[in-house]
Amino acid sequence: MSGSAVEHLERRVAGRHPELPETTGGTLRLDLREGVHTEHWYLTIDHQNVEVARSAEEAELIVRADREVFDRLAAGQLHVAAALLRNDLTVQGNMRLLMTLRRLFPGPPGARHPREAAGGPGGTA
Amino acid sequence: MKQERVHVIAGNAFAVSDAQGDMEVDPHAPVGLFSFDTRFLSRWVLTLDGQRLHALSRDDLAHFESRFVLVPGTISPYVNVDVSVIRHRSIADSFHERITVLNHSAEPAEFVLRMAIGSDFADTAEIRNPAPRRITTTADSDRGKLRLRYQRERFTRETLVSSTAAGNVDQGGMTFRIRVAANGKWSTDLHVDTVLAGAGGRDLRASLDSHRREMRQGTGADLAGWRDRAPQLVAERASMVSAYERALTDLAVLRYAPLAYSERVPVGGLPWAMALYGRDAMITCLETLPFTPELTPATLRLLALLQGGQLDDYHDEEPGKILVELRYGEAAAFDEQPTALYYGAADTTPLFVILLDEYERWSGDAALVRELRHPARMALDWIDSYGDTCGDGYLRYQRRNTRNGLVNQVWRNSPDAIVDRRGRQPGFPRATCELQGYVYDAKIRGARLAREFWDDPGYADRLEAEAARLRQRFNRDFWLPDREYYALALEPDGTPVDALTSNLGHLLWSGIVEPERGAALAAHLCGPELFNGWGVRTYAAGQRPYNPVGAHLGAVWPADNALIATGLRRYGYDAEAARIAAGIFSVVETLGGSLPEVIAGYPRPVTKYPVQLPAAGRPQSWSSGALLMLLGTILGLRPCGDDLLVNPSLPAGFGRIELLDVPGRWGRADAYGRDRAGRRARLR
Repeated sequence: MSGSAVEHLERRVAGRHPELPETTGGTLRLDLREGVHTEHWYLTIDHQNVEVARSAEEAELIVRADREVFDRLAAGQLHVAAALLRNDLTVQGNMRLLMTLRRLFPGPPGARHPREAAGGPGGTA
Repeated sequence: MKQERVHVIAGNAFAVSDAQGDMEVDPHAPVGLFSFDTRFLSRWVLTLDGQRLHALSRDDLAHFESRFVLVPGTISPYVNVDVSVIRHRSIADSFHERITVLNHSAEPAEFVLRMAIGSDFADTAEIRNPAPRRITTTADSDRGKLRLRYQRERFTRETLVSSTAAGNVDQGGMTFRIRVAANGKWSTDLHVDTVLAGAGGRDLRASLDSHRREMRQGTGADLAGWRDRAPQLVAERASMVSAYERALTDLAVLRYAPLAYSERVPVGGLPWAMALYGRDAMITCLETLPFTPELTPATLRLLALLQGGQLDDYHDEEPGKILVELRYGEAAAFDEQPTALYYGAADTTPLFVILLDEYERWSGDAALVRELRHPARMALDWIDSYGDTCGDGYLRYQRRNTRNGLVNQVWRNSPDAIVDRRGRQPGFPRATCELQGYVYDAKIRGARLAREFWDDPGYADRLEAEAARLRQRFNRDFWLPDREYYALALEPDGTPVDALTSNLGHLLWSGIVEPERGAALAAHLCGPELFNGWGVRTYAAGQRPYNPVGAHLGAVWPADNALIATGLRRYGYDAEAARIAAGIFSVVETLGGSLPEVIAGYPRPVTKYPVQLPAAGRPQSWSSGALLMLLGTILGLRPCGDDLLVNPSLPAGFGRIELLDVPGRWGRADAYGRDRAGRRARLR
């Protein structure tokens, strides 16, 4: 299944992230619920590097949601901040790390660079 | 007739009522109890024996506390009042109201006291026309509780009202059938909790480290601590001291702890902007560095945490961009507004770098500059990678969110704000002049940070070279030689937008202006087209779009004027700076209370009184901060190495001013100033 959260975690989240500040660090656990089953993914962020593992250990931030919600996040169809406000995902612990997690998920598909958009319709209220 | 409004504030929670303390929906004003961008009470009306009450007096004890003394019916000199009611309300993390009924007669008396209670759970974005919502109400008379609940999918907001005195609770409120002894009293405490439901229906704030600790928001001790850390002002003019104290109190109550962060940051202000606005918050920080520097590290860290990371058209987001608005209401949650994290601003990103550098100059906090190297570097990179949309070296903006993104992504953010002298709107993307000033300043300051703290001299050289080229290009392309000022903006093809505006002051503030052009700008800023006697108009009179009640087409903004006055002093126009400071101080002296966000641009001799615009907020962080910045500017406060430089240039009539215990890298230092008349007197 392309664009799934698990695939995104393994392929895009694990590894080097020069776009993250070096000073950002911490541990997150993502709890992906599917029916009665919950899958735990553990992210360790340190010096622009993210390690991804399967583990149910305690973390500084725990993020819980249905697998489908994580899939939509991974596909850029749902915004982390909006998902939190909607209560589609719940968090416990250090909320700053949720803002970091936001940067490990993609933006919406088809978003344009401002130069591409320049000159197009954008004016008048 | 416009109703008088009474408010209590604690961070982004606030309650607005009428003069009697009652709250009822008004499409023109956010009346009710609000928190985290949701209205939790839209109906809160007290009656005694079925009658509304009338206020005899009101005491606004503090921003977070009010007391109303009321009597039933219409006040008539022929009717003896034998009962009165006192409502004492306060707001902190929750809303609290103590109701006391006093029986003044020599006989015991029976009353039916009722509080009508309701909520529409409107989002602050829809006050003018709230959507109908299905509200579930649970009345529990045994426990004296009323629960109002709104749910949409998993999004749930709840209002929990409880009473200490027993009463009858129904779907529409609480009724107390009471007997009060002769000359006796009865009271109850009504407590209102607001719940943003998270995991398991508990408030989501309860599961966050940042909010778990005891919040001291809205308490006397909290305010006293804040006040003690700020400098003390001693002035011959008592009105200056009270205006100063008021501004400090405003800034204290207009701080809130966001979900993602534990330290408090400024909200925009009452009533429409009780949320984080990146621009307002950073300008407030810049204004208040010599007074309340603690606002700045929290603001910088939070904005760094929320820095843009992706391309996202709906949120006008790009990597490195600094946020402009953050809200928590239903409209943000369901993407009906882009405000869950909105980035539609071109100025916030250079301002972030400017604030970081300026903060270090005052505080000596090198650790923060090192900690924020990456976000600052991303911000600087954003300017060229994403901001220079035409590739001509100018920072420009054009919204990609054409549904409900902001048309003008600068401080003049009303849709018709950017127009030439004849009222014609330029094409997009627009390069307004102040943006170029900010970029110039950000690069000069970024170069200093790179050289002194980031150990990156090569990058520093590059930024300085870019800044020098920008300055040259800007002074060539924006300058209107016939009119002797800089154009408001350039169109995509380079055509100047020839309007005369207060943005000239921002250019002086940023340092991009060639010194030989300073005199012409100072003359414009203090000339009759721009200066109206209270301050500098956003848009000069004598141009077709000029409108004294147009927010950005003629009205006067204190925050704008604070930057202008500071810019004028930077270029040595001390008398002009003093004139503006005197004008803005006279606004607050005439009106009393807090400095409004904006006043009308009518000439001062015509109205004699500062005319407030209906939509203008009060108190507003960046207006209250403006008063402090003007004070710092006329005293000529400036960090120089590890010392505080003081170079006063006070308006005539200001007498002697002492600002004691100015915090900074020097520890604490005192500043003294005296106006010219005073100095001459002393010399004789």
